[in-house]
Amino acid sequence: MEFSVVWDNLPKLLQGAQLTLEITLLSLMIGLVIAVPVALMRRSKNPLLWMPAYGYILYFRGTPLLIQLFLIYYGSGQFRPELSDLGLWGLFREAYFCGVLALTLNTGAYTAEIFRGAIQAVPAGDVEAAKACGMGRILIFRRIILPKAIRLAWPMYGNEVVFLMQATSLVSVITLLDLTGIAGRIISKTFAVYEIYIMTALLYLAITYAIVFLFKRIEKRLNRHLA
Amino acid sequence: MPQANADYNGPVMIVEDLYKRFGDLEVLKGISLSADEGDVISLIGSSGSGKSTLLRCINLLEAPDSGAVYVHGELIGMSRNRRGDPVAADQKQVDRIRSRLGMVFQNFNLWSHLSILENVMEAPVHVLKVPKNEARERAIEMLNKVGIVDKIDAYPAQLSGGQQQRAAIARALAVEPELMLFDEPTSALDPEMVGEVLRVMRQLAEEGRTMLVVTHEMGFAREVSSKVLFLHQGQIEEQGTPDTVFNNPTSERCRQFLASNL
Repeated sequence: MEFSVVWDNLPKLLQGAQLTLEITLLSLMIGLVIAVPVALMRRSKNPLLWMPAYGYILYFRGTPLLIQLFLIYYGSGQFRPELSDLGLWGLFREAYFCGVLALTLNTGAYTAEIFRGAIQAVPAGDVEAAKACGMGRILIFRRIILPKAIRLAWPMYGNEVVFLMQATSLVSVITLLDLTGIAGRIISKTFAVYEIYIMTALLYLAITYAIVFLFKRIEKRLNRHLA
Repeated sequence: MPQANADYNGPVMIVEDLYKRFGDLEVLKGISLSADEGDVISLIGSSGSGKSTLLRCINLLEAPDSGAVYVHGELIGMSRNRRGDPVAADQKQVDRIRSRLGMVFQNFNLWSHLSILENVMEAPVHVLKVPKNEARERAIEMLNKVGIVDKIDAYPAQLSGGQQQRAAIARALAVEPELMLFDEPTSALDPEMVGEVLRVMRQLAEEGRTMLVVTHEMGFAREVSSKVLFLHQGQIEEQGTPDTVFNNPTSERCRQFLASNL
């Protein structure tokens, strides 16, 4: 074992970790924006609303993320003329865009399900009390259901964030130099498989624990009403 | 308080020939009643007699199948949806009427993520658009009235059942309701906490508030109400002053009910 190779390559690995964090954050934020309306559509009784939401969730939870990545990155080439017409080819040509898109759609589907469950778990009595004092549907959602659903969803959402962060390692197969991608590239030059992968694993572990710690802190704050 | 008709001085609430069914089960079979200002009406009867459903039809937490509900002279418009279920014709009207009624639930139903003060301020601020500092002052006044002003910053989970129910009463009072609906307000409480809630309700009755109370507390019904209704299988079986209903009931079923509940 040659640990100086780790030391020498640490700045590069950290750069990769930065890309990992960036992709994670970006996908999470856009994914969340998608998830809330999808969760609400999924709960609707109108088939024009719930069926597309159902199909979206079914597909992105029911197929491997790696396949979704391949389909978007390699598959989009088949639609190059159409995408060019729409002015979108420039985006789909970029591995970065395709990676973030696949991760976003994937986490959006999972988060929508988490959120739907949380909305369902809001006690009926809370909603009834809000109705009884004349609150309209939107007001009830904003003031009562949403704040309670966020608290109920939080621990599960924390899990989803950890999963997504680790799932970003898949983008290395579509040429992105995230933490895993950089590690592979360093290894192909140095053959220091153990050393580099151990360091890589430790960096993922550190990020994971940072996320877990942050979520625990926020959870405590959100639940101070239960103390 | 904004009112549909400021000159109106008829009954605060009128229910006419109300019917409600859940599937095959007919819960209300033609109920009529009215409440004048200052009336305290107790609804008694065994469980399943339809008392709570009747109460919940008045603010449309349940939509009646037929019949009419007037609040302060205003008829609540009803229609039917595509499946033929009864629904409010105009949800805005229902919301507006609800904002003038205060409801107290068996299980308190306080919003656990809001402090006691925030619970009481919620409807005045967000429904009635009362300025925050004014709503706050009024909320504190109401919490003082129900005797838990020292708990304004606590959260519901930190209060005893009796304290939670008193907070819920303060929340209902905060909108200055024309009519207060109590749905078995003491049924979920430990026996030693029943008294503190009944004391607050008695005080409200003495202030001349119009109240409709579904209750199993016969002592309260007898001493505080101006009118008592005994429901049996979805119909009013006996009604009158507490004295008539408790001392000279004409219905045999009412007599039996009272015999086993006093």
